[in-house]
Amino acid sequence: MWDVVVIGGGLAGLLAGIRAAQRQKKVLLVTEGVGTLFFFSGIIDYGDVEQLRLLPGHPYQLFDQETINRGRKYMEQVCPDYIDTERSEAVLSPLGLLRSGDLVPKGMKLPNLLSVGSVVLLVPNGLKDFFPEIVVPNLTNVFKNGQIYVENLVVEEFQRWFELGRPITSVDYADYWRTQKGHKVLKQAIGKIKEKFSSRLENGEKSVVVVMPSLVTEYWENARRGKWVADFPLSVMEISSFSPSPHGRHLAEYLRHIFQDLGGEIVFGARAVRSELEPTENGYQRCKQLVVQSKGKELILKAEKYILATGGLLGGGIEAINEKREIREAVFDLPVFIPEEWSSPHFFEDQPYAFAGIMTDHQLCPINPLTREVVLENVYVVGRLLAHWDPWIQRCGAGVSITSGFVAGESV
Amino acid sequence: MKYRDDVITSLDTCIKCSACTAQCPVSKVNPNFGGPKWLGPDAERLRLESGAILKLALDDCSNCKTCESTCPSGVKITDMILKARRKRSLDQNTPTLALKMRLRGYVLGRAEYLGRLGVIWPGLTNKVLGLKIMRYGLDKALGISKFGPLPPYSQALGIRADQAKDGQNRKLERKVMYFPGCYTNYNEPNTGRMVIKILEHVGYKVVVPDFHCCGLPLEANGQFAKAQVNATHNLELMENYLQVNVPIITSCTSCGLTLKEEYPKVSVPGAERIGQQTFDLFEFLWSLHEKNELPLNFIKQEISLGYHLPCHLRAQGIGIPSLRVLSLIPGINVHNLDVGCCGLSGSYGFKKEKYEISMQIGRGLFEATKIGVNHGDFQEMITECGVCKVQIEHGAGVPTKHPVWILAQAYGLA
Repeated sequence: MWDVVVIGGGLAGLLAGIRAAQRQKKVLLVTEGVGTLFFFSGIIDYGDVEQLRLLPGHPYQLFDQETINRGRKYMEQVCPDYIDTERSEAVLSPLGLLRSGDLVPKGMKLPNLLSVGSVVLLVPNGLKDFFPEIVVPNLTNVFKNGQIYVENLVVEEFQRWFELGRPITSVDYADYWRTQKGHKVLKQAIGKIKEKFSSRLENGEKSVVVVMPSLVTEYWENARRGKWVADFPLSVMEISSFSPSPHGRHLAEYLRHIFQDLGGEIVFGARAVRSELEPTENGYQRCKQLVVQSKGKELILKAEKYILATGGLLGGGIEAINEKREIREAVFDLPVFIPEEWSSPHFFEDQPYAFAGIMTDHQLCPINPLTREVVLENVYVVGRLLAHWDPWIQRCGAGVSITSGFVAGESV
Repeated sequence: MKYRDDVITSLDTCIKCSACTAQCPVSKVNPNFGGPKWLGPDAERLRLESGAILKLALDDCSNCKTCESTCPSGVKITDMILKARRKRSLDQNTPTLALKMRLRGYVLGRAEYLGRLGVIWPGLTNKVLGLKIMRYGLDKALGISKFGPLPPYSQALGIRADQAKDGQNRKLERKVMYFPGCYTNYNEPNTGRMVIKILEHVGYKVVVPDFHCCGLPLEANGQFAKAQVNATHNLELMENYLQVNVPIITSCTSCGLTLKEEYPKVSVPGAERIGQQTFDLFEFLWSLHEKNELPLNFIKQEISLGYHLPCHLRAQGIGIPSLRVLSLIPGINVHNLDVGCCGLSGSYGFKKEKYEISMQIGRGLFEATKIGVNHGDFQEMITECGVCKVQIEHGAGVPTKHPVWILAQAYGLA
């Protein structure tokens, strides 16, 4: 018998699990795959919380402003690579465009843009999904007083890959920079750049910065990887990546390790397939046990409380069954809020299907969208699965996941 | 559920997110291997369309199944790769492998025969295998790396007949069947004996019939027909027991995975029950604990241990029952390293051309192990898989054992 079973290993599920484990709960986290953090840039968006709280049914309405702030502080506490300055920060997108983020990884934070003299874009050889020809003009717009230079970095370690025509993903490079050898190679390359630009600096140029894709200096655990300090001769700005994202991957690993070090256990490669319910004394229903498909057999998991963090349509928490034109919640078959129109013909417009999800009360227990009655007393819904929001248009994906994950972890 | 199964078998489930490639331990260090997405769902389209099989790269996959436990969409990636390997072995047009490679496949695939030979005179075998000249010879003649950590042989575990007389009601007796597997049988029989002792200690009679190799090393070395023969033989030995709900216990994670995942596909009686009735040793002990049937009179152990999760245990989708059971013992402190594959993957790391790759794959684990020891977090490692153990000792130089030994100490059995 567990205190808490968390279903889903994304940001909301992991954070809920960490908070519950910290509160001395016995927590088991069940996940089918690695979770969607692998698609996560590392940049945490909260969106315009005040405005979003005015929208009918928006998840932010479930919490007061103070709770939302506490969640934010909690994330910073769990992962000190995020420093909450209570205002948004400017960072670079994978295409070199300026974007804002509410909590950003330390290494992505940009300096005062107008004070930068020269910007050196350091491009590792054969890096997949990185386009200097697009990034350079964009950087020119970002650093208005600066001059942009491109330096290519040929890494011997990956020379064979390059020759074979095998693309080197930012995840591969990020891993390499995190080894002693890779760190040394990078340090040398940046040292050379410094040398090259030294005369300019002597001639009174403001400053030289290096901008680099595929580098992740955060989410470092000394207990497993030894001491490592990102000390480069020039200041280096990290750029976020397309999927699979090295920042997201390392954050996922970091959170997983924190959860396990707190005594939490993870069941990988298992899908929660259904649940068995029982009536409660006051006439409601609760989840009695959860059925999980492992290799060869079904496992029965019993817990006091269940946190449902299976994601939305993309994560698999909501299944759309084409032939039946049906949308259903995958584990408990909870009643789903479904907007009347599913989609809008203009791709970049609001897409109503994004609002499909589970409605809950303030404790995050699922409710019936029509009667507003609590459906399952001991189940808490968090993250993308919640109804009435659009993480892409409203840019609040991580914000809602962190807040709801934190609240569920506090209340279970 | 039916609908979902159909989707999983269809290629469209793969959304091309490349998370599997990002996590693949082999692809990370071997530029020739494009990764699971490429060899699995991507190449599968070509294979289905034209019947062409991307032949060479098929052998680069180490079958660790990290991709399957990584995939956010439940795609059965290694299934596709193994199926293609099987198909290739039947394909008349496939150029036959060089004699050396065929011989090696034969040798490494038959861990069992090697074992049976090895245990006739373990002392001599170990001496011979320990000779530099012998390893040099194996390296040159068979392509078995002279650096690979070949485990030593020991007195075989042997069989344990069922004592129940005919007519005795088997249902009344608490009985389990133990599937030790080749590594336990020939290389670490004492661990097997301890598994039996523990099972007896918790109140079960243990039967060990004359099983053959589970078939995984055969599959991994391209001997598919022989693997099928072994599975059929083993299932025949199990059938009567499966019918009366006797649990089958494994202590090797790869045998366990094979019994749970591959055996249900064999069309002989009993196959339909093997999946639900196979338990990893600690999975079984935990299920006893859930029924309040596990003796909890443990001797306090003041010990800190590092833990490595074998890929084939993770792939079983049952979590880490050994750590759950060990957490019941007072005084034990376990550091779960969770840093990925050890690199050996069965017989993969013994192959000459794969040895370097396998050591590179294991680098993260070796590093984390050494750091843990240097920090004073632990002095010893535990892991369920025999070859992971061999690889950790080889790569990190830290003594490693099966968690059953810790439990045995706590029960006062060792």
